[in-house]
Amino acid sequence: MSNIITTPVSRRTMLRRASQLGFMGAAAPLAINLAGAAEAAALGANDYRALVCIFLYGGNDHGNTLIPYDPINYNRYSGIRGQVGILQKYLSPLKTRTPQTLTDDIQYSFPPYAPRLKLLFESGKLATQLNVGPLITPLTLQQYKSSNRALYPLPPKLFSHNDQQSVWQALGSEGSTIGWGGRMGDLAMAGNGHALLTCISAAGNAVFVSGENALQYQISPSGAIAVKAIQGLPYGSPAISEALHQLITRPSEHKLENELAILARRSIEMEGVVNTALAKVDIKTSFDQLSGPNPLADQLKIVARLIGARKELGSKRQVFFVTLDGFDHHSGLSEKHVDLIKKLDEAMAAFYIATVELGMQREVTAFTASDFGRTLVNNGDGSDHGWGSHHFIMGGAVKGGRFYGTAPHVSVDTDDQVGQGRLLPSTSVDQYAATLAHWFGVPDHEMATVLPNIGNFSNRNIGFV
Amino acid sequence: MRSISETDAARFLLRAQFGTSEAEIAAVRAQGYDAWLEAQFASPRGQSGIDWLDAHGHNAVAKDVKYFDPTPGNYMIWNQLIGQPDQMRQRCAYALSQFTVVSLNPIDGFWPPYMLAGWWDVLLEGAFGNFRDLIEHVSLSPAMGMYLSTKGNLKEDPKTGRQPDENYAREVMQLFTIGLHELNPDGTERKGADGKPIETYGQDDIMNLARVFTGYDHNMDRVKYQTVAWQNYPVVSHEFCVDPMKLDPKKHSQLEVRFLGLTIPANTPGPDALRLALDHLFAHANVGPFFGRQMIQRMVTSNPSPAYVGRVAAAFNDNGKGVRGDLKAVWRAVLTDPEALDPPADPLGGKLREPVLRILGWARTCGAHSDTGAYEIYSTERADEGLGQSPLKSPSVFNFYRPGYVPPHTEIAKAGRVAPEFQIETETSLAGYINFLQWSLRWGYKDVKPTYAALRAIAHDPAAVVAWLNLHLSGNQLSDATCALIAGALASKTVTAASSDSEKLDRIAAACLLVMSAPEYLVQK
Repeated sequence: MSNIITTPVSRRTMLRRASQLGFMGAAAPLAINLAGAAEAAALGANDYRALVCIFLYGGNDHGNTLIPYDPINYNRYSGIRGQVGILQKYLSPLKTRTPQTLTDDIQYSFPPYAPRLKLLFESGKLATQLNVGPLITPLTLQQYKSSNRALYPLPPKLFSHNDQQSVWQALGSEGSTIGWGGRMGDLAMAGNGHALLTCISAAGNAVFVSGENALQYQISPSGAIAVKAIQGLPYGSPAISEALHQLITRPSEHKLENELAILARRSIEMEGVVNTALAKVDIKTSFDQLSGPNPLADQLKIVARLIGARKELGSKRQVFFVTLDGFDHHSGLSEKHVDLIKKLDEAMAAFYIATVELGMQREVTAFTASDFGRTLVNNGDGSDHGWGSHHFIMGGAVKGGRFYGTAPHVSVDTDDQVGQGRLLPSTSVDQYAATLAHWFGVPDHEMATVLPNIGNFSNRNIGFV
Repeated sequence: MRSISETDAARFLLRAQFGTSEAEIAAVRAQGYDAWLEAQFASPRGQSGIDWLDAHGHNAVAKDVKYFDPTPGNYMIWNQLIGQPDQMRQRCAYALSQFTVVSLNPIDGFWPPYMLAGWWDVLLEGAFGNFRDLIEHVSLSPAMGMYLSTKGNLKEDPKTGRQPDENYAREVMQLFTIGLHELNPDGTERKGADGKPIETYGQDDIMNLARVFTGYDHNMDRVKYQTVAWQNYPVVSHEFCVDPMKLDPKKHSQLEVRFLGLTIPANTPGPDALRLALDHLFAHANVGPFFGRQMIQRMVTSNPSPAYVGRVAAAFNDNGKGVRGDLKAVWRAVLTDPEALDPPADPLGGKLREPVLRILGWARTCGAHSDTGAYEIYSTERADEGLGQSPLKSPSVFNFYRPGYVPPHTEIAKAGRVAPEFQIETETSLAGYINFLQWSLRWGYKDVKPTYAALRAIAHDPAAVVAWLNLHLSGNQLSDATCALIAGALASKTVTAASSDSEKLDRIAAACLLVMSAPEYLVQK
């Protein structure tokens, strides 16, 4: 896979250099224009690629997502997990595409209620990244325990939901305004027919898809929402319709009011564009195979439809964000986690099949992320906030049927965990993200602008896609 | 003291409660802010959510197993917010519900609506009480016990390696009392020698404090068990939804607890350990500024000055009579601060009115009423066809939006300000809200319909309709140009005093739609 984004110097890099050199004088606008032009030309590629972040809000219990299968490791697991462990009789070993030897000769199983993910894994469309989590630099347990934070910095506010969501999405604690999906969007937006359709959330507001220049566009599972009173005749009156349009879109000197007007203009303008394009896309793949609602499946379906509308919309590079919520299983883990993994299984498989239906499976890569992993130790009927976790990468370009990274010991006292089985990550979010970004087309020299800490890690391409 | 104008009074009421009426505006003007507040503090409670559920038959035990259905929890809270007379208490409890968060969403088992009603009662009861009592009632609430899993939390077991659940111990510090960073009395962050914020607690504090919250479960002492034909286990009565959780000393950790500089000795009885731990949190210097700043954000402005936060925190720390944590003193300080009362000048001032407050302001002001008393308003949480927000249905314990949210790519961000409510204002929700209004303003929502009593009488006069709505819904925030634009649009269809009720209602609904969609209204200043 070759890189598509080949601009030697991005607009942002140019701006940064300009300010560093202190020549923000008359030459600056020209430099910016040149940079912009170069970016646009380089992004005039005629292929398509999309990254889809599936965020599992609440902190997925990795211990019951990837379960030790071989007797020795299973017994360790069972001993630590107590009543939240899954019985071995329900497990079956995952077959890798080529033989792989992992830590302690561990063999893994998916939970029995994820049959579709197992099928995807064994057919090579799904890869598993082991023990990935936020890190500033590579870190040993000894360094973690050291008091020298200047030398061994820690990610901010470990184990806290809102902050670790933000760290996963934006590499900084809550309050960060630019996510790494958005940073990729900054590089890609000039090549798209509609810059606003570069970074899209189908799950409400998320910093992941917010860039320095790229805005996050919000879409609902049913498509873009029209303001009916503008399109129709509210209470039988065209004058009301006109007044409404004017009121909600006109500029204001009050900044908060003005931002609302900007949002209204964007909402109204894009609704027409998006829904016109979506109307021409018909996806036959069923996203509703199991009983009960599945909000993740609904979100992934609209993402698939937008990918189907890529030509109409002139989209070349897109970053999507979807979510499944409710993973904070301090209690009731055994029942609640089952239900969510079933939904994840249903939704991810349907999405993959839909990309096949569109003939786009090699151009679309989906991956999971979550606040954090959890303790391996149980608290009775649940588990507590952890750090590193296991994640999935799915798509036709994925080198699946394989485990990437280092398998952690099934343990509460080895040096790959910080207590109670909270995993000390052996792969950083930056490395995980850089691998995805490389596939997306971010050139090596831009990688540090997308992922500021990537320079601290020697392996910048894990190779799963 | 300067006299209180109609505009001043409406502006005050739209913060202190949901809507405004002629009588309330007159009362504020006549009594002054302090006396009006005292009168509200002294006014009786409305019907409790529990009593309301009972009265409307939601306690029925029948083969349809409605006792598992959370839906009437929505009816209950909408009735409380729209229909109960203790409006300021409801408003303050709603602000508290965004600080100590419980959501109906994951509450399951028997009687979820009662669980929510019990929770709402904790907030209503606590709203005009003391923060120390509130935080204890919150900690022992059966609903919070389910939401943050104190219910069923067991002590450590060295044999199996089982550890206490850390959920509540973490959030009671991070969200409900002290926050992540040490604060100055004015709410600004203290900085360490390295120039960085100072973290208030670490993982060890959480693991220790978690021991305090072990051994609790729903209190089944008053519960009656009813054998029924259609299921093979009994139906329980709903007292456990109201009674504070009960401690089982055998399941309570007897280990020493060391957190935030406090040591609770080993073998301290559970109730004493809880008291000591909550006293210690309550005494932390962060609570006043941490809590006070967020209450200002909920009621007045997203970006209060440090001085304003400092004045509210001082009122929290001492109500003037040496009492710490008096919430009445906090509300008074929030609502009557000069920064709240002075005319707004800052082009970044105020806050985005959140969707639930928009609809409640309208409902209270325009006399929304249910003839059947059923209040069958479902969850309005969907952004594409609802309000994008529904009371007591936050997606997580982190509320609908975060107090430090900065909307990217905005003048707000450039100015270094926050705008929490913008977190749920999107391309989708903006359109979904206006669509929701278009129908609801004219026809109501199920059995809850507007009466528009004051407006029907002046419906033939577009300028008068707009002026009335401008005062009562927005505290006269709409500019003359906006009022003229709306009145002009209304005048495009003739309505006279003799016109049909339907024609009048079309005009009134259109006027409300335009006012409530206008950014000049949406930003509460």
